[in-house]
Amino acid sequence: MSEEKELYLGYTTDKAITPFFQDFLEALEQEKLMKSKCTKCGTEYLPPREYCQKDLSKCELEEHTEKEAKLYSYVIVDFAPETLSSKAPYVVAIGEFPSGLRLTAHITNLMSMPEVGMNLKLAFDKIDAKKITYKWLV
Amino acid sequence: MARKVAVVAGGHSKFGKRYDATMRELSAEAYKPIYDEGITQDKIDATVLSYAASQFTGQGAGSALIADYIGLYDKPHLRVESACTTGTASLRAAWGMVAAGLYDVMLVLGVEQMNRVSSATATEYMSQAGDMRWEYPYGISFPAFYALMASRYMHEYDMPHDVLAKIAVKSHHYGAQNPKAHLPREVSFEEANNAIPICRPLNLYDCSLITDGAAAVVIAAEDRVNEFTDRPMWIKGIGAGASSMKIQDRESLTSIPGAKHAAKAAYEMAGVGPDDIDMAQVHDCFTIAELIAYEDLGFAEPGKGREIVENKENYHTGRIPVNCDGGLKSKGHPLGATGVSMTYEIMKQMRGEAENQSRQIEDVKLGLAHNVGQSGQFVNVFIFERGW
Ligand SMILES: CC(C)(COP(=O)(O)OP(=O)(O)OC[C@H]1O[C@@H](n2cnc3c(N)ncnc32)[C@H](O)[C@@H]1OP(=O)(O)O)[C@@H](O)C(=O)NCCC(=O)NCCS
Ligand SMILES: [Zn+2]
Repeated sequence: MSEEKELYLGYTTDKAITPFFQDFLEALEQEKLMKSKCTKCGTEYLPPREYCQKDLSKCELEEHTEKEAKLYSYVIVDFAPETLSSKAPYVVAIGEFPSGLRLTAHITNLMSMPEVGMNLKLAFDKIDAKKITYKWLV
Repeated sequence: MARKVAVVAGGHSKFGKRYDATMRELSAEAYKPIYDEGITQDKIDATVLSYAASQFTGQGAGSALIADYIGLYDKPHLRVESACTTGTASLRAAWGMVAAGLYDVMLVLGVEQMNRVSSATATEYMSQAGDMRWEYPYGISFPAFYALMASRYMHEYDMPHDVLAKIAVKSHHYGAQNPKAHLPREVSFEEANNAIPICRPLNLYDCSLITDGAAAVVIAAEDRVNEFTDRPMWIKGIGAGASSMKIQDRESLTSIPGAKHAAKAAYEMAGVGPDDIDMAQVHDCFTIAELIAYEDLGFAEPGKGREIVENKENYHTGRIPVNCDGGLKSKGHPLGATGVSMTYEIMKQMRGEAENQSRQIEDVKLGLAHNVGQSGQFVNVFIFERGW
């Protein structure tokens, strides 16, 4: 993968990158959130998976176009795992899109306590030169 | 037809921050009382020796180390791992081998040594049991997974945090009377309700402890039980369940699907229902987990678990005594030892041997252990029956 850019999802540097996941990351860098769709049964996955959970057929990446979601649940992490200690406190939220698909990410611009059911907007961030992410804004 | 299997003896180390011991010495402490009762190494056919996470010690293939240390180096052994259900998964594996006739007498020993690393490092290791690609990069610790359940539960059932604090008060009330407990002291409602936040809405007193400790039990086939005890505790029902890996994929966060499934299977196998249970040891890794357990086990309707708390039905003289040893909250939670410790506690209660009468539950005929791994990916429910 020498030609490919070194990219990581989120706040850590998991090296378990595959060609499929690399494609996801390169799209994300272009501010496109990709889901995946099973080529056999059509089931959609967010976040994407390369093999269908139901029939183990290959899935293909396609852009997830919904931008607005509702807060399904949240946590404010005050005491963090060691690698994220310097970032705490941070808010982790499960957002639910109108389609029912969900995504787990940080909410980065909260000024008051989160409330289940509140509106969330999908956004993107470059954490540093190699780390990129999707995130929620209120 | 499977043979009947009973728990015939048990041992338990002191739980706590055990800087005076490692997994070796802790294991010896758990096996010693069993040895002293006469169940010496030569009487044990095989062992399951388990711990949840090797990162804490750096020791690979640790069952060999433990077996050797307690004098069982020449007996077959293996390690079973399933996060915080490691203890009951080991018991389930051993039960299968004895029921099938492969062995007659087995030792099941669970141990964890967690305090040789900082709490932040321990939190890091445990968060690596989340999905490494999609969850771990967002710093979702174990308290965070349960806080996601708590936020949703509090929203759907309009429940204040007070209810959770009352569960912590009960756990510490009983832990204070358990000489084996990690943090044996009472806490007031105000202290528990207003403690420092860990993963809001959960605070310090909603969390179980990071504990070093070990527990062991011996199980035997029906035709050998009399050689060891006249007070056998029969394994009457076993149920296991599982839930999706990523927490966002759960249809509901107010219940653990694998726990409901495990409970149903255990009740069916035992031929009993929730009303027949005289005491329960539930997996209160967080106070919200204990509340959800009341509902998943059928002690309360969905959303009504708080009534058990408000009416103190979960105290030792109540309708359904729960965790009258302090639970994971006050007794402590050495991951791999926890499920074995639950089994040990039920045996002690049945025998009327809780060290302190103020936590002794009267006349226990049926006891239930509910052991959950990760945020519900693994669940085991055991129902034990007094055999005398
Ligand atoms: C909540 C937690 C982070 C606190 O750890 P910590 O901040 O490092 O705490 P320390 O060990 O430094 O202890 C500081 C004080 O808090 C107390 N304390 C620590 N954890 C406690 C807990 N869970 N409940 C009550 N008191 C606790 C200690 O006894 C100590 O009291 P002292 O100052 O009077 O001696 C830790 O207990 C934890 O992570 N618990 C959850 C464990 C877990 O996730 N297990 C897996 C579940 S599936
Ligand atoms: Zn498919």
